[in-house]
Amino acid sequence: MKLRPPTGRLLVNRLVSLLSAGAALLGLAVLAWILAGVVARGLGALTPALFIHLPAPPGVPGGGLANAIVGTLVMTLAATALAVPLGLLAGVYLSEFGQDSRLADQSRFSANVLMGMPSIIIGVFVYALVVIPMGKFSGWAGIAALAIIMFPIVARTAEDMIRLVPNTLREAGLALGAPRWQVTLAIIFRAARAGLVTGVLLAIARVSGETAPLLFTALNSPYWVSSLSEPTPNLTVTIFNYAMSPYPDWQQLAWGGSLLITLGVLALTLLTRFSLRDKPR
Amino acid sequence: MKALTLPAPRYLTADEAAGEATSDLALTVAPEGPKIITRQLDFFYGEHQALFGNNLEVARNQVTAIIGPSGCGKSTHIRAYNRIYELYGEQRATGEVLLDGVNVLDPAQDLMELRRRVGMIFQKPTPFPMSIFDNVAFGLKLHYRLNRGELADRVEEALVRAALWDEIKDQLRHSGTALSGGQQQRLCIARAIAVEPEVLLMDEPTSAIDPIATAKIEDLVNTLKSRYTIVIVTHNLQQAGRVSDFTAFFYQGRIVEFGPTTQIFTNPTQKQTEQYITGRFG
Repeated sequence: MKLRPPTGRLLVNRLVSLLSAGAALLGLAVLAWILAGVVARGLGALTPALFIHLPAPPGVPGGGLANAIVGTLVMTLAATALAVPLGLLAGVYLSEFGQDSRLADQSRFSANVLMGMPSIIIGVFVYALVVIPMGKFSGWAGIAALAIIMFPIVARTAEDMIRLVPNTLREAGLALGAPRWQVTLAIIFRAARAGLVTGVLLAIARVSGETAPLLFTALNSPYWVSSLSEPTPNLTVTIFNYAMSPYPDWQQLAWGGSLLITLGVLALTLLTRFSLRDKPR
Repeated sequence: MKALTLPAPRYLTADEAAGEATSDLALTVAPEGPKIITRQLDFFYGEHQALFGNNLEVARNQVTAIIGPSGCGKSTHIRAYNRIYELYGEQRATGEVLLDGVNVLDPAQDLMELRRRVGMIFQKPTPFPMSIFDNVAFGLKLHYRLNRGELADRVEEALVRAALWDEIKDQLRHSGTALSGGQQQRLCIARAIAVEPEVLLMDEPTSAIDPIATAKIEDLVNTLKSRYTIVIVTHNLQQAGRVSDFTAFFYQGRIVEFGPTTQIFTNPTQKQTEQYITGRFG
């Protein structure tokens, strides 16, 4: 029996390796390009004024994004405070209690659909549900929209992370006489902690860059956040407006705001990686 | 949650009870006879029946070993004693498991109470993702109302009795999951005995750890039996011979033979037992 010469096989191997490396590099290059562009154009705008001042009217030089930064922080935090406890509870239900029941299956399916839904649709949904009855755009509506986007992300990652905890740990807790809820809270949550934190941080990173849902809900405002029942300033809609404006000052501020959000998301992602790493022992 | 106050329930002997009949301190008279009796215990994984009419008597303050080839129902049998199988909806047991004469399979049985009285050690060490101290304190806090000092004392006592204290007394705040496999298993034993159980179920407790650590655990079993009734499932026949007073041989979900360990190992009455003991199958 004659062995097949290896040349063809080696060639194909070479080719596929090259192609996959090229694809990976292409992805990285695009990311680097975007980052470089945002840094190059935004860095100049990252002055102390940007963090301190309100936006200036067109034609007046200077001005900052202080109100938008505060607004985005407030709305993101409030949405997190709403969505994280609910999402964790839903994740616990799906993984620990519902498991393969019909209700759990349907909830899981809905969560998956909700996660894939374009965020502008959630914005329009909240517009119809909150903005129209209230008669005005408001921070609350923005918070609701962001929370709705976060909820399925937190719920599904929590479910997956909790499922990864081996059953032996549940049995060990129950065998000591602990009730199920206590096993879940005191043992399972702790065992899945790194994964749960990651899910929450990823959800925050995801909504902190959302523009479309805020366009229909919180809208925007050139003033300080005075009440969440009023239109609330935020970075993403400000960037959207300023980038489209004909004024170079505003365009410059839009670049600064973009860089700020990019850095924020980058920081969250790095934090995620840290939290995933086990604590040194 | 019912919190007990110290000291843990102590049984008086019949003589003591007679002497203290008028005293408020008089507790229950020590029950006589086997600690656990199973009667016609059947077990099902969904449609599949895994145990068939198991009748067994587990002697008080003795070590009972359960041996048999893989899949014969050894673990399934002891998992009925503390109803841990109920974590899985499709598993169920029928028949009776009498703990001091009371059927624990009765739906009215309080599971917290049952599991305080019947502790369990698993095949793979299962330290909780928390400190060594908190691992042992977990069950204590669950069942007893203790102040900080009492808690610390009880944790230390449990670790001492589990022969782990000397090795870890300076690292009580370190993570329980960072210990070696053998240490983790002794931590689990400390955690289980801390709540003052009456029975210890050990499900192949040494199958995942090295021979030296195994020897330590076997020594421990020998010292612990003065206080607890121990049921140990093992794949290791030598281990059953070394640590147990009684041995039950399981085959295909049935108890083929049960008797004093020396008799099972030297003079079995059943052919299957003899074949298994002499290594002809399993």
